[in-house]
Amino acid sequence: MRNMRWMIVRKAANSFVTILMVVIMNFFLFRVIPGDPLMNLRGNTRVSEEYKTEFIKEFGLDQPIYVQFVKYIENVFTFDFGNAITQPLTPAMDIIMSNLQWTLILTGTSSIFMVIIGMSLGVLSAWKRGSPLDTGTMAFSLFFYAMPTFWFAMMLIVIFATGLNWFPSANALTPGTSLEWSLESFKDLLNHLVLPAISLTIGSIAAFSVIMRGSLIDVMTEEYITTARAKGLNESQVLKNHAVPNAMLPMVALIAIDLAFVVGGAFQTEVVFNYPGIGWLTVEATYEKDYPLLEGCFFLIALVVVIANLFADILLIYMDPRVKMG
Amino acid sequence: MSASTVPPVSRLGRVGRTIGLSEPALEKLHLLAKDSRTTWRLFRSNKLGLTGLAILLAFVVMAVLSGPLMSVLAYIGGWDQAWGPFDIDPSADKEDDPTSEHWLGTDTYRQDILSRLIYGSRVSLLVGLVATVVSMGLGALVGLLSGYWGGVRDEVLMRITDVFLVIPWIALMIVFAAVLPGGASVGKVVFVIGITGWSSTARIVRAQVFSLKERAFIERARAIGADDLYIVRKHIFPNVFPLMFANAILTVALSILSESTLSFIGLGPDSSKVVTWGNMLEDAQLAYAIDQGLYAWVVIPGLMIVFVVLGFTFVGYAMDEIFNPKLRKR
Repeated sequence: MRNMRWMIVRKAANSFVTILMVVIMNFFLFRVIPGDPLMNLRGNTRVSEEYKTEFIKEFGLDQPIYVQFVKYIENVFTFDFGNAITQPLTPAMDIIMSNLQWTLILTGTSSIFMVIIGMSLGVLSAWKRGSPLDTGTMAFSLFFYAMPTFWFAMMLIVIFATGLNWFPSANALTPGTSLEWSLESFKDLLNHLVLPAISLTIGSIAAFSVIMRGSLIDVMTEEYITTARAKGLNESQVLKNHAVPNAMLPMVALIAIDLAFVVGGAFQTEVVFNYPGIGWLTVEATYEKDYPLLEGCFFLIALVVVIANLFADILLIYMDPRVKMG
Repeated sequence: MSASTVPPVSRLGRVGRTIGLSEPALEKLHLLAKDSRTTWRLFRSNKLGLTGLAILLAFVVMAVLSGPLMSVLAYIGGWDQAWGPFDIDPSADKEDDPTSEHWLGTDTYRQDILSRLIYGSRVSLLVGLVATVVSMGLGALVGLLSGYWGGVRDEVLMRITDVFLVIPWIALMIVFAAVLPGGASVGKVVFVIGITGWSSTARIVRAQVFSLKERAFIERARAIGADDLYIVRKHIFPNVFPLMFANAILTVALSILSESTLSFIGLGPDSSKVVTWGNMLEDAQLAYAIDQGLYAWVVIPGLMIVFVVLGFTFVGYAMDEIFNPKLRKR
């Protein structure tokens, strides 16, 4: 038990160091490399002179670099990235938070389908290994793995939006409306969600099915599977009670690691469908050279992904009895 | 049996002898030839790998012979000229459907889309390959050092690797591409893809080095006075290399996908100077090609990416099975 607690503490410490590294990288990338961080602000005519002076004072940009760094750390851990340059009166974090809901709706919906469909496909093809079903599933997975998600999203628009006219090709809601607690609004939300969710789900399914298949094939060669068969269990009992639970172990770790992959898919999907989430916002921020906004997006994404990984690690420690014993 | 009593019989051996190589060098050459023949035999029996290789060869031919290929097509189609990727056809319509002069239509600048598609294979392949060299080199270096040193230095390197491993590649790529100076050059794109893609290689190499370090032959080498550099170069690297090789081919596939994504988002090379499949799709998106019904412009460049990535993935999986015999047994 002590060993287990020690491992969790160590993992948590590692995660904290990772976050700290991201913060340091952020500081140097955004402040040191582009030269004067105020260059964009100075040239920006949408921003008043008073605001610029206040901005310099607030972020201590007239101070030496190490003072700036301390100030920066303080700001980061209070989620204060300053006001967005494109919307000078709004804190960057407010904009990010209002976009976050759309990313959560999109990735949340897709993740559920991704895990269920991906793992079922993996189990099926490992069970019927070498059959046409297995070959077909693997071919399907590889084909979509090789496909840029943004292009798949465009193909969905070609077929189902402009072609068949079944679903809208852009936005999260009909422009001009906002999300309300009504059936109409909910229907509108779903209608706009279908294509982006399909794009993200199909684009990331391959990772799950391929890994689940490999993991299950590994487990199937273990001796306890032979034992289970020898004591007279039928194939589906062996699969359900002995093989799949053990094959799940590496999956838990990989679901968290694949989160990075899913975020990548979400970025591309959001850009193609003009879906106003974090990925779309990040890309907009680069177009507009809105560094406070870009920095905030990057930090938030890093934070979420690192915490998700830590969570998976801890879960794995609890799930794997070998770790507890060791 | 020493090398001098058993002369190498392979064709390569005879060539080596005529150019006057020493006996040990000949023996080495002979072994290399034998090794590569075994590898090729294993590869040939792998249908997936062969399919991938055929696809890749087709793309290499397309990239190397883009000019002649366009000339031949121009002759067959009876075009006014063999259109280059940046040639503007003043007599063509802007953003037009396929015609007998422009088989895939024209883009916003009245450029021939088919020509851009064919020439586009060059930079797309080049960026994929060079970015892979960068990321494999960096990954191998960090992995070797980290695994060989161990201790505090390993810990520091691994925490840095974690950052690059855990943070989504697309977020890293966008931030680097947006912040680094140098505009939208091919070199910068290669650098950005390389710097975001090395972490998994470093992890794999490090794990391998750790397991090698404990083996007896390394201890023996050290006992007879080999220094660190010698051991890494002569004993560790050759054992790590096969593992990296399959990984490298799969990394090319990912790098090509990264380039197309980066270009599509508008952070890739400028499409008026350099043409890649990714920035063709960006141009199509900016011109609302889907809404205009110009499907060839949107569909075909994407298919090119899919096939070239599939080619590398197939060959990569085949190589993995050859170099990691544990997989073969399953």
